[in-house]
Amino acid sequence: MVLDTITIPTQLPCLAQGIAFVVACATAAGLPLTRVREVELATEELLVNICHYAYPGETGTIEIHYTQDDTHQLLLEFSDTGQPFNPLDLPEVDLPDDIEQRPVGGLGILLIRTLMDRVTYNRTGEKNIVQFMIRLPH
Amino acid sequence: MQCTSQQIANVVLIRVEGRIDHTTAPDFGQALTAHLDGCSGEEHKLLLDCSGVDYMSSAGLRVLSTAAKRCRAQQGEMVLAALQPMIQEVFKISRFDKVFKIFPTVKAALEALSPSAAVAYDGI
Repeated sequence: MVLDTITIPTQLPCLAQGIAFVVACATAAGLPLTRVREVELATEELLVNICHYAYPGETGTIEIHYTQDDTHQLLLEFSDTGQPFNPLDLPEVDLPDDIEQRPVGGLGILLIRTLMDRVTYNRTGEKNIVQFMIRLPH
Repeated sequence: MQCTSQQIANVVLIRVEGRIDHTTAPDFGQALTAHLDGCSGEEHKLLLDCSGVDYMSSAGLRVLSTAAKRCRAQQGEMVLAALQPMIQEVFKISRFDKVFKIFPTVKAALEALSPSAAVAYDGI
């Protein structure tokens, strides 16, 4: 059951609205503050990537749906109608300890993959759909 | 996000406060850049007090990475101190904890960086 939805423009200054929406949903779902912060971070990383890769040089919208099901998890679904963009397809970033050998960037997807309990991507019709699944505390 | 700086002997202590995300990272980068020019050798080292930073996304990591590369190219040294738990977690995931020298307190960082700065510092 979808409990709440927001639609935001894919402009960097507007992403804060989507992030605030997710923070409110995660808090309402009963996640502890540290976990809310992790969900917030993963959301920021995803929204910024959607802006860059699904809508390069143009503006569109992102819909965020907040759902809770009977499997005791919080579901956040991010959908857009931009170019096909599967964040899980991006190559894993190499992380050598020597700063000189490190690429600058590429860490956002790593943070998403690590911090969320499960991440899925589907291309349905003209839509990119990314889902974050976050287990709720018992 | 706010940065304030203080010269302590041969160390510039930069206190960073607030959130470093995709909206504030450019300001963070500008604030750091202002101190990177002279960061070289023993005469001018940088210490970032991160005790006031409660959120950092990859946009902040990107700024730190760029600054660290520049410091290295200039044979300079930039270290970090007093990371909050969430920032420690982000550093661990991204292995930034292996890239940077990180100290639990500003005092501990100064003791490792510069004996004269540690003596001159009156904080913790």
